[in-house]
Amino acid sequence: MIVDGFFIAGVIVCLASAVICFGAAAIRQPPNDVTILSIAAVELFLLVYGVAAIIRQAGGEAIAGEAWEFWGYLLTALCIPLAGFWWAILERSRWSNVVLGAVGITVFVMLFRMEQIWDRVPL
Amino acid sequence: MRTHRTEKNSAGPTRHRNSGPGRLLIAVYGVFALAATARAVFQISTKFAEAPLAYLLTALAAGVYVLATVSLAMPGQRWYWISVGAVGLELVGVLTVGLFSLLDPEAFPNDTVWSLFGRGYGFVPLLLPVLGLWWLYLNRRGRAVEPATERASPTA
Repeated sequence: MIVDGFFIAGVIVCLASAVICFGAAAIRQPPNDVTILSIAAVELFLLVYGVAAIIRQAGGEAIAGEAWEFWGYLLTALCIPLAGFWWAILERSRWSNVVLGAVGITVFVMLFRMEQIWDRVPL
Repeated sequence: MRTHRTEKNSAGPTRHRNSGPGRLLIAVYGVFALAATARAVFQISTKFAEAPLAYLLTALAAGVYVLATVSLAMPGQRWYWISVGAVGLELVGVLTVGLFSLLDPEAFPNDTVWSLFGRGYGFVPLLLPVLGLWWLYLNRRGRAVEPATERASPTA
């Protein structure tokens, strides 16, 4: 079975972000530059993934599932880091870092679904 | 988890149920509200005739998650009781649908958030209302109109 390279890159970015944020929460840090930049990296990855997906689909690469479902997931996923950031910085406690970590986990699950839709991989 | 009690005590009665661990709870409820709403819209708009009961249950779950998210985030005693109702309804829903989907799989195709106690979502739908009710229980006095002596008790 073929697993998309973008999917692997995305999984690494999301899980690294989650580990950083949960780790910062474990040592009782409020959100700081490192944790906020880690979810910014998640958002940046999603933007790159989206642009690459436009180029690939325009280039004639076929999606196994429904295209609109893929784009629905991607557009929703793009909002997750922004919403998590907004919710986390309203209160500077270590729990806000757990919220930022949940961003990485949530985007990871959504990437998983996007990969299933794109390649119909029975992951 | 272990230390939030000391944090809560040191911060005193100014802390709300939408603060500290409550923020995480609300964030997770928000994700489920989004996921269930999107799923309900998708199911009802594309294949409602296939399994009307399952898809109406998804819509009900979506409504319960949205109400729980909002009510947990809002301050005040009225919103507290609305959140108790929403989270309680969620627990009843996940247990009922989970049990029936186990006993009579034919009537419940694996298509709702609550099927098989939320197995499709890593059992988070089962865990969430338990944690939610526990959190609301821990925070009951902060909002309740009770004598001040009641609040002096060291253990929450």
